[in-house]
Amino acid sequence: MSDKNMFRPGMSPKDLVNKVRSLPGVGITSTGMRDAGQSDFKNRLRIHDLETLAPHYERMDLFSAEVHGGARWHVGIMNRRESPFEEIVLLREKMPNVILQTLVRETSLWGYRPYPKNVIKYVISQVDIDIWRCFSFLNDVRNMRTICEVVMERGLHFQPAVSFTQADWATNEYYIKVVDDMVDLCGGVEEIVMCIKDMAGVGSPERIRELVDAMLQKYPEMVIQYHRHSTDGLGLPALLAAAQAGAKLLDAQEDSLTRFYGQPPILSLHAYLEEAGIPVHLNRPETEAAVQTAREWIRHYGWAESPFKGTDHTVVQHRMPGGAFPSSFEQAEQGGFLHLMPMILKVMSLYNRIVHYFDVTPGSQMTWVTCSGTVNRYAKEFGLAGVNSLIALLTKFTEEVDQDLDRLYPDEKTELMEFFTTAPGDFKNLILGRYGKLPAGWPADWVYESAFGDRWKEQLAKRSDASPLDSTRDEDLDALRADLAAKLEWEPTEEEFILYLMHPKDTVDMIHFREEYGEASIVLPTSVWHSGLAKPGDTVDFTMMNKPHTVEMVSVGEEHEGYISVVLRINNQTRVFTVETPRAVKTEIRMARAANEVGSPITGSIWRLGNPKRGDLAVGDVVHEGEEIANIEAMKMENVIAATLTGRIAEICIQLNDSVIEGQLLFVLEEEIEEE
Amino acid sequence: MSGTKKIERLLVANRGVAAVRIMHTCRDRKIPTTAVYSTPDRLGRHVFMADKSVHIGEAPPVESYLNMEKILQSAFETGSNAIHPGWGFLAENGAFARMVMDAGLIWVGPPPDVIDGMGDKAQARKLAIKAGVPVIPGTEDVTSAADALKWMDDSGVDFPIMIKAVAGGGGRGLVRVDRPEEMEQAVNQASSEAEKAFGNGDLILEKFIENARHIEIQVLADQVGNTVHLYERECTIQRRNQKVIEEAPSPSLTEELRQEICAQAVNLTKAMGYHSVGTVEFILDSATNKYYFLEVNTRLQVEHGITELITGYDLVSLMIDAAEGKTLGISQEDIKPNRWAMEVRLNAEDPETLGPSFGRISRLRTPEGPNVRVASGIYQGASVPPYYDSLLMLIMSAGHNREDALNVMDRALGRSLRVEGVKTLKPLLISIIRHPAFRAGDFSTSFIDENIKELIKAFREPTAEDELLKIAQYLAEVSALGPRSWI
Repeated sequence: MSDKNMFRPGMSPKDLVNKVRSLPGVGITSTGMRDAGQSDFKNRLRIHDLETLAPHYERMDLFSAEVHGGARWHVGIMNRRESPFEEIVLLREKMPNVILQTLVRETSLWGYRPYPKNVIKYVISQVDIDIWRCFSFLNDVRNMRTICEVVMERGLHFQPAVSFTQADWATNEYYIKVVDDMVDLCGGVEEIVMCIKDMAGVGSPERIRELVDAMLQKYPEMVIQYHRHSTDGLGLPALLAAAQAGAKLLDAQEDSLTRFYGQPPILSLHAYLEEAGIPVHLNRPETEAAVQTAREWIRHYGWAESPFKGTDHTVVQHRMPGGAFPSSFEQAEQGGFLHLMPMILKVMSLYNRIVHYFDVTPGSQMTWVTCSGTVNRYAKEFGLAGVNSLIALLTKFTEEVDQDLDRLYPDEKTELMEFFTTAPGDFKNLILGRYGKLPAGWPADWVYESAFGDRWKEQLAKRSDASPLDSTRDEDLDALRADLAAKLEWEPTEEEFILYLMHPKDTVDMIHFREEYGEASIVLPTSVWHSGLAKPGDTVDFTMMNKPHTVEMVSVGEEHEGYISVVLRINNQTRVFTVETPRAVKTEIRMARAANEVGSPITGSIWRLGNPKRGDLAVGDVVHEGEEIANIEAMKMENVIAATLTGRIAEICIQLNDSVIEGQLLFVLEEEIEEE
Repeated sequence: MSGTKKIERLLVANRGVAAVRIMHTCRDRKIPTTAVYSTPDRLGRHVFMADKSVHIGEAPPVESYLNMEKILQSAFETGSNAIHPGWGFLAENGAFARMVMDAGLIWVGPPPDVIDGMGDKAQARKLAIKAGVPVIPGTEDVTSAADALKWMDDSGVDFPIMIKAVAGGGGRGLVRVDRPEEMEQAVNQASSEAEKAFGNGDLILEKFIENARHIEIQVLADQVGNTVHLYERECTIQRRNQKVIEEAPSPSLTEELRQEICAQAVNLTKAMGYHSVGTVEFILDSATNKYYFLEVNTRLQVEHGITELITGYDLVSLMIDAAEGKTLGISQEDIKPNRWAMEVRLNAEDPETLGPSFGRISRLRTPEGPNVRVASGIYQGASVPPYYDSLLMLIMSAGHNREDALNVMDRALGRSLRVEGVKTLKPLLISIIRHPAFRAGDFSTSFIDENIKELIKAFREPTAEDELLKIAQYLAEVSALGPRSWI
């Protein structure tokens, strides 16, 4: 029963932590509404479908539901045309007793650049979320301070997450140091759950057992949550190992959503742990029902799945995070370089031995852009053999010569020095410390020389050890809001403004989409949202504004001059819609835009050029500001068109008796330049 | 006196709402009708509503609806023995009235001489002064900007002032001037507009009354001088000097003032030797409660319907009676308004810029339900040509009191009315009738100009139907073009 949920919104962090401690076994966070969809369906799972899980969640006895954050924001705005704010409102209504959880980056939040403190505070304080799982792709705990403070001040639950990977430098000692910093930041372990975030799914069961054990030895009272992806195929045993070592909370997703790169399946996890003697706090029948509900709609998302199928144990080398898998492969497919993916993954695995950080946003994007760019460049210039020789060179450098440039042949050295020349600006900012300190120290000098060329020393001197929180200057929120208002031509809501702060261009696009197509993205069933109505007689039923609606396809006409007429029957009323194809022929009407261009204030017809006093006008004539230069008649009223400045007529864009529309360009004037 | 003469067939020399309105009464009285139409009106609503229809020329009004010979010829060809001019076009053209009568046809309107006399604003002023009706300080002696400025100087009248076409009406040839440097352009514009619209560029100059309210009295007289009034209409809500919302009774008048103005209107009507229906317009200075004679409209007014709603009389029918020479069978005591009525003019105009909007009415749903009256010149599928005025439809509401009438209007506009294909004033009209100052009866002729920003701000109120159509547009696109590239 929902009112008996052990974990509910509104509980104090301390209360929540104590409740977890009292569990005989483990509790579960379902990632079905966020990370599951991100990792296997490119974040395309729509709230229209996800909300059907809410009534189940309400009774499943979850610790929390991860429903928000990560790339779900950006994809929502850009592709699903849904606002994360709408989603929260809907979920709060449908599962009021479930703790909602987000995933947030420490300074770039749900966008892709480090934000100054005032933006972070403003955004974080306006989002209705209970648990804030926060990570740094550098494990630079200093960067978390602002979010941590705002969340804790609001009495909500700040959940620090240790970015995890398996590498020679990523030792228990290293992680304990990170955990120490986090515990300090949060003032002890009484009010926090410590998350181990294994975003690529690379932690082998024994490695995870060791790490959890080490953390608990240092902090016996600490509540640990293990989040991992299944990419390596070892998700379930790793979760069991974590639980056996003392982790109290585990992340899982509905089995019917499970493909390859998301979290392990929740029912399997339940069975596996219980068999091993670890009680799982979960309403099994309700969870089975949820899994079945998801099965009913997930079949409509075939188009959103990764073109790369199957688990991939080599992830332990290339470390591509589960959340980036389908989108990277999609990019490769669209870019026509899917066949290069194995080589790109290989280069990634060698790359991350040269520069050390965690492959998760925004780091994973830097790795991806650098490595996929380089491999593509090689493939174009030297073919597959060229790519293979690059891999051989990187392998030799990292494995045979201990990353000692001087032990390479001169031509090899020259080639390697080219490696970072095309790296993206974000990567250059990264190695200059703009995102914070790198977890295993700065890269070797040659990386700077490769990235910055002759001026590398100059650049290196600018490298900073400071946290971006301290080095990024506050932004003028009022000015930014005014920018958005100007783009929209109305005062934005708080929510529109926050979306804009994260994703300026895509937010404006989405708002315009919603202006044009209303709630199409919210109310239409997924198959119709994606592909429309296929043939005459096909119908779609939906509910909007609390009323039922039916749209029936009558016919799709032939294309004519780039336009197609579509006849639909909308609630029994037939209507014709005109659809513009990319081939639409448009007669372009020039509009007045610049100060020296005179536009028509009204739709009407030009009945007089010039004015009665001076008569007609010609190009080259001098006119004076305020002088009547044409007159437009509309609905039997005369409208004076006056010169907007004193100058010569450079162009007369209309003729007598022309019909003109509002804003249409009538004259181009040229300011008189005084000549000596 | 020619005695009574029965109308056998009535030619309506008009189009759109006016023609449709007149034909409705003709149907009630079983009088067959003839419509005339220009080329772009070939499939117009009035053309099919009439019993016979005659094409009279091309789009420009001078070739069609102002083409007197052609209209008379059409009357003869179709066996029409009477002509009703409606409003606008030839309605206040004394020469045409005379032509009609000289041709032996019945003119459904006042005598030609009265039309001429009242059509000349200068002469009307003189008559009003003679009849003891107060007039606005002004002069008829203006041919140039210099004349105008000199008169102002001599008579001590300050800006703003109003320049009016002597032959004007309906807001055309009417220009407000606030500064001396605007005078020249204003004089030229008023004169040119008047020349074009009425064939007479003569002007008069008057002091502009700020915070003015526009009150008009409906009068009715038979051919033997029996004259009554049907009380007032308030037409203060205007933009660009054209009425947008009218109501009866006026919320600005005390009962005492009402009786006084109405009596003045009847006196003036008698002094004119008027018959048929007519309107005496006054400006009421709300600061001083003084009223001034403005002009007489020697025709049926667009807004006559609200008077019909509060009194129960059919003014077109009474006009026909008067034209047929019947003696007025109504005494002043018979006229007992017992309701409040409002009218809005649904023009095909952009509600923000107030610029005209043309095109095809792709979808139309007219208001319905209790206490709603609609006079529509269009139908679903009709086109709105750019050559004529932009009135699509008159929507009227009635109620026991002003608040009831406003609530009915709110329902009619907000819930039932739907016009697609052209832009209409609907959002602006809704904004106005919901505005607290308007609801409180506190407004002047500059209400729209003064509040336009606030009124426009209140526009964004999408209806469920609009929202549904947006979704349907998406469905049409995705069905025709396949999955969208960004999805």
